[in-house]
Amino acid sequence: MKHSFALSLALGSGWLLCPESLVIAGNNAGQLGWLTLPLLAAVALLFAVCGRLLNNPLLPTTDSKEFQILQELTGTIPAAGITIAACIPLVVLAATALLVTSGYTFNEVFLYWFPNFGFSFLLLVLLTILQFFPEKTIFRAQVCFAALAAGGILGLALYGITGGEKTVTKILQQPVHFSSASPALLFLLFVGSTLSWNKQKPSFLVPLAGFVIFFLWILASLAYVTPERLASSTIPYMTAARKIMGDPGRQIMGVIVISGTCAAITSLVLLSRRMLAEIISEEMTTGLLTEKAQQWIFPPLIALSTGLLMATGLAGDELLEVLLRAALILWLFYYSFVCLSALIWIKKKSQPISLPAGIGTLILMISLFTLVINNPHTIEICIFIFSTLGISGLLAAVWLSIHKKFNTQMETTV
Amino acid sequence: MKKILFLLSLILLIAAPSVFARDVPIMSKDDLNAQLGSDKLVILDVRSGRDWSSSEFKIKGAVRAPGSELAKWSANYKKDQTLVLYCA
Repeated sequence: MKHSFALSLALGSGWLLCPESLVIAGNNAGQLGWLTLPLLAAVALLFAVCGRLLNNPLLPTTDSKEFQILQELTGTIPAAGITIAACIPLVVLAATALLVTSGYTFNEVFLYWFPNFGFSFLLLVLLTILQFFPEKTIFRAQVCFAALAAGGILGLALYGITGGEKTVTKILQQPVHFSSASPALLFLLFVGSTLSWNKQKPSFLVPLAGFVIFFLWILASLAYVTPERLASSTIPYMTAARKIMGDPGRQIMGVIVISGTCAAITSLVLLSRRMLAEIISEEMTTGLLTEKAQQWIFPPLIALSTGLLMATGLAGDELLEVLLRAALILWLFYYSFVCLSALIWIKKKSQPISLPAGIGTLILMISLFTLVINNPHTIEICIFIFSTLGISGLLAAVWLSIHKKFNTQMETTV
Repeated sequence: MKKILFLLSLILLIAAPSVFARDVPIMSKDDLNAQLGSDKLVILDVRSGRDWSSSEFKIKGAVRAPGSELAKWSANYKKDQTLVLYCA
């Protein structure tokens, strides 16, 4: 499917614009100071290189190329298992976390008498209803969400940079506390940015846009907030917005948080729907769960799971942060595995592997390892990753075997 | 009829904790403001997870004391101290 320039950007940058990404960027800026900027450029470049690798003409050109690449290397069931494990937990956990954050933001910035949880559920219902509309409407809404969030961040950042008292020299003099864990977190900003829904567009499009947005935002944040405050804050974006523009800054940030949440959830649900559609289109030629049918089944299931997690109080539990981090790492595992499989695919065609792509994939895998071992909840993260992969593999096996039986019965009847 | 009874029981069960919670005195904003700075006053922020991290409003000097770990932190305070718990 051919997408416009704005839509490709909006779909790929959904996660980039969410409050979770703003926290990662803010905390990193606090810890690493100005060093965050070149590191961010390096990470964006790496994703652009990996995106270029997946656009290699030797790889399949269909919409389902990631699944086909994985399938070639691991077989159908493991490929389906990894795909399911990467998308479902991420979309459910991210939706839970982001909706709760949006609820608090709405309550504290706009309407203090409106219950935060009420707003979270309202937003969940509205975003689920949106998924039932024709794809064109969802895409239009996604462009609006992303434009609102990106425009807000850029506006605040430019206002701050042009009107700030601190100069670039002062930012360069701020302390830098380097640790391997911090730069690895920057990889989590680009979740879903270079998958094949952007294949008609240059692979650097979303990473470049992400780099520009965060470059300006980090510069403005460092110019107004002390690095210690940025590093320790749980809402560095709000602290920076307030310092930059006072109460109007808070209100703009409130709009950014809510529209960024909508953009992230919509793009993650669309990405997951597309990833599941890849399995369906490759392995399920008829009947049981067609691409059209899963549009009506998948979003309500996601909404139900998210609603249940919110209602059971997971938002008030530290466990949510651990699980969300694990789900993001699992997605990075999926992405690096797709890149590795693409390299092997190209090698099998007796073609030379591009050195930057090889190095990029290697760095992705190292960052994955760093993110797991540097986390205080390494064991819990490993348990989550392995159990999710196991359960998803089992689910994929059952799903595909039921469908195979269904197909055989259909053929016999015909 | 059975369904209605079941639903009513369920609602009562859900509402029960908040009914019991009425026994706990509630301090107004002005009362708290008047007592701020007192040695006997301890403000405890019982929010945890994203309920705490997503919120912009945190009372200065408040100690984090997650509600789920009540048994763990309640022993740290004397009976003559005024404990003010807040969750929103």
